[in-house]
Amino acid sequence: MSVFTDNFSATLPPPTRKSERWKYSPIAKLLNKEISISTEAAQGMNGWPESVLPNPVLNLDAYLVVFKNGVFEPTLSDLPVSDGVDCIPFSKMDQSGSLDFTNGYHQKEWIGELNETYRQDGLSLHVHRNVKVDRPIVIHHLTDGNNVASFPKHLIKVDEGGELNVVVWSSASDRSSGMYNGLLEASIGPNALLSLEKVCNEGGKVFHFSHEHIVQERDSKLKMHTFTIKGDWVRNELEIISRGKGTDSVFNGAYLPLGAEHVDNHTTMDHTSSDGTSSELYRGIMYGNSTGVFNGKVFVRPDAQKTNAFQQNTNIVADRGAAINTKPELEIYADDVKCSHGCTVGQFDLDALFYLKSRGIDEKAAKALLVEAFLADVLSSVSSTELCEEIMRLYTERHGW
Amino acid sequence: MLKINNLCAKVGDNEILKGLSLEVKPGELHAIMGPNGSGKSTLAAVLAGRDLYEVTGGSVDLDGIDLLDLEASERAREGVFLAFQYPIEIPGVSNLNFMKAALNGKRAHRGLEPIKAKDFLEKVKECSSLVELDGRLRDRSVNEGFSGGEKKRNEIFQMAMLEPKLAILDETDSGLDIDALRVVSKGVNAMRSPERSFIVITHYQRLLEHIVPDFVHVLSNGKIVKSGGKELALELEEKGYDWLKEPSHDTSNA
Amino acid sequence: MERIDEDKLIDEVTGKNYEYGFTTDIESDTLPPGLDEDVVRMISAKKNEPEWLLNWRLEAFKVWSEMTEPDWAHVEYEKPDFQAISYYSAPKQKKELASLDEVDPELLKTMEKLGISLEEQKRLSGVAVDFVMDSVSVATSFKEKLGELGVIFCSLGEAIQKHPELVRKHLGTVVPQRDNYYAALNSAVFTDGSFCYIPKGVRCPMELSTYFRINQAGTGQFERTLIVADEGSYVSYLEGCTAPQRDENQLHAAVVEIIANDEAEVRYSTVQNWYPGDKDGKGGVFNFVTKRGLCHRAAKISWTQVETGSAITWKYPSCILKGDDSIGEFFSVAVTNNKQQADTGTKMIHIGKRTRSTIISKGISSGHSQNSYRGLVQIHPGAENSRNFSVCDSLLMTDTCGAHTFPYIEVKNPTAQIEHEASTSKIGDDQIFYCQQRGIEEEEAIGLIVKGYAKDVLNKLPMEFAVEAQKLLTISLEGSVG
Repeated sequence: MSVFTDNFSATLPPPTRKSERWKYSPIAKLLNKEISISTEAAQGMNGWPESVLPNPVLNLDAYLVVFKNGVFEPTLSDLPVSDGVDCIPFSKMDQSGSLDFTNGYHQKEWIGELNETYRQDGLSLHVHRNVKVDRPIVIHHLTDGNNVASFPKHLIKVDEGGELNVVVWSSASDRSSGMYNGLLEASIGPNALLSLEKVCNEGGKVFHFSHEHIVQERDSKLKMHTFTIKGDWVRNELEIISRGKGTDSVFNGAYLPLGAEHVDNHTTMDHTSSDGTSSELYRGIMYGNSTGVFNGKVFVRPDAQKTNAFQQNTNIVADRGAAINTKPELEIYADDVKCSHGCTVGQFDLDALFYLKSRGIDEKAAKALLVEAFLADVLSSVSSTELCEEIMRLYTERHGW
Repeated sequence: MLKINNLCAKVGDNEILKGLSLEVKPGELHAIMGPNGSGKSTLAAVLAGRDLYEVTGGSVDLDGIDLLDLEASERAREGVFLAFQYPIEIPGVSNLNFMKAALNGKRAHRGLEPIKAKDFLEKVKECSSLVELDGRLRDRSVNEGFSGGEKKRNEIFQMAMLEPKLAILDETDSGLDIDALRVVSKGVNAMRSPERSFIVITHYQRLLEHIVPDFVHVLSNGKIVKSGGKELALELEEKGYDWLKEPSHDTSNA
Repeated sequence: MERIDEDKLIDEVTGKNYEYGFTTDIESDTLPPGLDEDVVRMISAKKNEPEWLLNWRLEAFKVWSEMTEPDWAHVEYEKPDFQAISYYSAPKQKKELASLDEVDPELLKTMEKLGISLEEQKRLSGVAVDFVMDSVSVATSFKEKLGELGVIFCSLGEAIQKHPELVRKHLGTVVPQRDNYYAALNSAVFTDGSFCYIPKGVRCPMELSTYFRINQAGTGQFERTLIVADEGSYVSYLEGCTAPQRDENQLHAAVVEIIANDEAEVRYSTVQNWYPGDKDGKGGVFNFVTKRGLCHRAAKISWTQVETGSAITWKYPSCILKGDDSIGEFFSVAVTNNKQQADTGTKMIHIGKRTRSTIISKGISSGHSQNSYRGLVQIHPGAENSRNFSVCDSLLMTDTCGAHTFPYIEVKNPTAQIEHEASTSKIGDDQIFYCQQRGIEEEEAIGLIVKGYAKDVLNKLPMEFAVEAQKLLTISLEGSVG
């Protein structure tokens, strides 16, 4: 089945370069592609590829939930999880028990409408009041095959005082092509904590699009990390809405594209209530002929007095042919606030590099040390050391430091 | 000169001064000591006219003028000077321009012409040597990038420039090393005169070794609970404040 | 330059206006509202322009007709009806008033605060002024001095007649007709503006200023300025006037083009104080300006602006750093109050090697205004070892205004160094109290703090301009706190 030709008649127009939100990430190429959508039947025929492990973070003691080409894989998943947590795919649940909310993204963006139209499945994850989930939940998406597509949507709700750590990991085998179009909506109740790590480590030629929408209630805390390890064309959209007083939002990201890869991180932090703090740090190194895009927007609405918002984007353009387009934005409508952003584009510190080399460290190892230092602040708040180490290991392996 | 009678003040719903009375005569130096949260800095701010605090009762009279009726800048022009515990930074405004604006505001209040550039510069030179404030600091933006000690010396420099009738020093010794303390004290002592009165607020007796008070008062829970001569400070140093504390129903205003 | 001489010179040039271009035979002409090709032809004919310029205008008109008005700026307004504007109005004499008593007292109060002389107050508010007798000789001596050096400084209309080769060579080379909607409109219908040429190696000994010819009516709405600085030359150009300007034209779409040849330096300073409208923003000027400079090798263009006026400002003075080692600078203070909206900033396009740019933007928002910085820093693949440093600060005076920052940074070279920082803060209650405690009244304290905040930019203005600009800041923010 082809998604973009005769079958998909969207009510919304696909974004063009002229729409400000897509200025640096045109999707014209995608529109010409033939992409087919997996069904459960088709799923069984392919099996699991040898090159990708079902559990992406082997050392991490976690509940694993696996989807392949958008379809739930019960045999590879550890369900149910502990008491006080409802964690079930929509496909395996009667409608009355599943979470049901929407931010209406499918009515705003063409790409959201696409997800809504072709959605295969997703997880309904409800953490009840004061329940602190004992282990992280790793949601693993695998794309495997030629011109295949995943359209998942996950809903997460952490009730008052609850605590949850979720890792959304997407992989693709090297022979893969097609699309990953994943939505995630989360609601964090009063005094609750959600740690969310999103990792993209996809081989092949997959068009990767994800949109996370997180609403924070009073005194809740969000720790969000977005790592792009590998991906032909990646766009990570993150939207955080601070709806109650005194929320705390930390969201960091790293991107190190190689070759002709394209990575876009598009974040919005919307302070609608008072006394909130937000801290955003995105760091990227552009290698080869790759392109990085960062667009960070911080809103401070009229009622959001005493907001403290900080945003930083740091980039290194490592090679001739690589490029970065960055747009850190502030829109402030309240006066008693402290907001700042900074953005830099530069190179590796040559003095530091020389200093390391003068101590007998070879260039490669010296650069690896500098990259590690560059990423340290982004990684430092990741919720588990196992995950942190695995991400660093993958970066190192990929870039051959 | 200064008569404070039964002064009460609060911030929000929090009553801090609860009927404070104090009389300061010309030329006298009064030290106000007390534990943290007793209301010392509030007293300084209320006298200077900070509108964060709401005066709920009592009166403050400076040479026949109802001080509470005046705005902060008017009080300053009547001769009230507050040396801030945490001097404020004003980026881009040079210390000298700042002083010129202040001095000329005061002169205008007295119906005088703006000060002549030559006279102004002479005065600056004289006053800055008093506290060993070097030229670099005078020309820089107000308090911006100053060290803690430099900020405090700048406060005393400003005091010398503005020649107040009543100078209130709010924890001027906090954050000073011994050399800076000596310089600041020297400046204050040089400013003492039969016409000028001082209220020196401090937590420690250390400052009072350098600036010798005529009277020492202990403030606790918004009231003066004990007054005495300079020897009281030594006694406090030895015994602490606990023996003087009034039983309090509300200690949350610490 | 002595102030008095300037005044005299303005008078002189104002008087001389009638010598060139606009003569009595077209004085009463006003075209009916509307815009089509015939109107463009008529404007060109009225100005007795050569055919190439007519064709240039017609091309611009064609392009404009096919464009749509942009809406990406962070401003909201009712789009002007372009068919309701009259595109040619002869330099009509403003109705002369008999004395200052007839002038809006608010206007006079402001002028007084700015320290503008009585004579000048009269002139600026359109009261008949007797010209001082010896003004002609003073002006002539300036003109002679500039003439000796080969500096050409005249109206664009005059330059088209007298120096057509220079105008033709440069017009539209930095801001082409199709650049943007308003630039296209301006290219089709511009009425007049200034032309300035500085020959090789000449350091222009005085600030060139439109101040000299402020009353040259009819140039306001679609003004076009062209500045050409030849190799190794230097000029400082001042635009605008600190006095408040009342204008019946709601839409202003000006174009300024600067060409800085090898090793030339151009400083362009603006104080913009168009009528911002009343407290509800009604009746204010829409200021949609395109300003751009082209730097050849080791050339430098410096834009400094103090923006306090207009209901809507849409303005991005830019530098194309084409030559190696060229330098672009942008220093801006933008104040908005009441219902004003400003979307302003710059573009620094780094093409040549070792090009450098600096951006300092200080926004001050008060009342119910919206104040946005929008800037682009673009490093092309060949711009080896280029540098940009940007600081964009916003100061908020009330809880009903907005301050926004939209920087675009595009880097395609691995040797570039870009640093951008922005912060938003409130004017500090503690700062105001500190000043008050030293005997400085609240309003003066606010003025002092704001001037301190904007100091880095005000320092870039020529001295005389800076003093008035400082006063203007204070006046623009009157009553905004407390």
